[in-house]
Amino acid sequence: MLERFIQYVMTDDPGAETPAATRERLKSRFAPGSTRRMTLLGMLVGNVLGDLQLTEDDAVVYVSAFGEGRALEDYLASFPSASPTLFQTSIHPSGVQQGLIGRQRSVRELFPHAGGGQLAVSGLVTALLAPGSRTVVVGGEERGTWLVDVNAVSDRTFAYALALTRDPGAETLGRLTLANEPVAGALAHAAWFELLQRREAFDGPVAEGWRLKVVWF
Amino acid sequence: MQTTDENFVCLTACGCVTPLGDAGATLDALLRGACALRPVPVLGREGGDAVPLALLGGRALDETAPPSWLGAVKTLLAPVAAAGWGRARRPVFVTSSNFGVGCLYAYRRSGDTAFLAYGALPACIAWLRRELGWGESVTVFSHACVSAHLGLLQASRMLRAGLADEALVFSFDFLSPFVTGGFHALKILNDGFPAPYEARATGSIGLGDGAAFAVLTRDRGDFAIAAQSLHNESYHFTANRPDGAGFAACLSPLAAFASGRRLWIKGHGTGTLEAGRLEAEMCARVFPGAPLVGWKGSLGHTLGSCGLVELALAAEALRSGRTPGTVGSVAPAFTETVAFESFANAAYDGVVCASNAFGGAHAAFLLSHA
Repeated sequence: MLERFIQYVMTDDPGAETPAATRERLKSRFAPGSTRRMTLLGMLVGNVLGDLQLTEDDAVVYVSAFGEGRALEDYLASFPSASPTLFQTSIHPSGVQQGLIGRQRSVRELFPHAGGGQLAVSGLVTALLAPGSRTVVVGGEERGTWLVDVNAVSDRTFAYALALTRDPGAETLGRLTLANEPVAGALAHAAWFELLQRREAFDGPVAEGWRLKVVWF
Repeated sequence: MQTTDENFVCLTACGCVTPLGDAGATLDALLRGACALRPVPVLGREGGDAVPLALLGGRALDETAPPSWLGAVKTLLAPVAAAGWGRARRPVFVTSSNFGVGCLYAYRRSGDTAFLAYGALPACIAWLRRELGWGESVTVFSHACVSAHLGLLQASRMLRAGLADEALVFSFDFLSPFVTGGFHALKILNDGFPAPYEARATGSIGLGDGAAFAVLTRDRGDFAIAAQSLHNESYHFTANRPDGAGFAACLSPLAAFASGRRLWIKGHGTGTLEAGRLEAEMCARVFPGAPLVGWKGSLGHTLGSCGLVELALAAEALRSGRTPGTVGSVAPAFTETVAFESFANAAYDGVVCASNAFGGAHAAFLLSHA
């Protein structure tokens, strides 16, 4: 069984807020002028990382099914004069890299997950197998526009971050375990986000071979 | 080779497909100094500047629905296709930079909804799972040009933790106007052909189609991945720290691990000037005297698949006893350690295979006979 202790959780669910309003709400979190080229997902990811002081030895696991949906849409629309900036920012894992580069924080391990039916669980397995003493799991999605109708980008915006450690501490928020068992189940990325947002206890199968248990203290 | 590394795994099988053929044919071509790159309009049938691209035989740059590369992938994976991959004890790790995103460009241009079944990343993975008969245990990584390394490392950790019996790592990237247009906009894909590690006035890259697989186990195979290393500078989206510290931070743990062993290095070597110079200098500093080669002057940069394509070629080189030189480049080089010509590798204990990516991402592993 894999086990880690939850030391930090932050979520952001803009709901019906417009992208412009979300950007306005978050821009004070970043250095003046730095948000002009940031994507909405990049700002959300940077925001939920909050005041976490990342160190070289932290492993960072990034989870996003679609990544930078709006940058992708805008890049596609820029042809035949392809935009170099939108090309860069549309490439996974641009969202988390915007956050890390903005902080000028190098890390040894960065594992960006994408797509796939087992996205959330895959990210957790990666996080719980990382050898360091602390792993930061950060994820999210960005609601697109014209590609939403054809299911090619996310239809919802959200972001979350949690810090997991091998050992409990005085301010530990909870415990997360993954057990390798002969079970079958699923945990959608949005459902994982909502579980974190509500700090909801959970105990059940989440993928073929995996049972997840989340306990909040 | 004895090792205490926690991620030691055996390479039970591997293979690749490039425009020069399978791993054996590609190695032979590289040893002959063959170049797969040809001038191709950057936007395919839409035209544009001619840039160096290496496309699979008979494949056009423009996307088709279904993607024209599926047959090559099925042929590549045929030797390991009957193994029931994608179950809990036999997980699959899929890595790519672009997946089927070129189909979204085709959809945007044509309005043909047939492309939508392959364009979005989750749709592309679901389609591949159906076509290749994989179960649900599929982990997907996308970290630009170090993507394949992440699949190898996480597969190794699953194996070493006893959570899997064997793992399939599959990596692919096939070109489309979506990606060629982007690199052309960045001006590093231009009308020049790549000359990795060559000290010249203008940097150029080429891009190539590529796919590869590796089957990893704890204890079966002729080759071993004895140690793996990652580092992410997070300094700039498209530039490395000017002192080369990111390269050194990734390579140094491998050098410490392999202390006393005689190694050669398969570098990233895309043909850009600054990154090529930093890589060559740091390889020479961290692994003094180790010959450095790069093969993207022939194959082009196969993007997210390059780490696994070049692993298959490095394994083939170890098997054959001969390492191709840096095809497409001539003296002067950034460092004296750059090998332009092929050389016998029997006297070496292994090869360090390194890749780099946007955001100052670095990855490397040590491959040797088991």
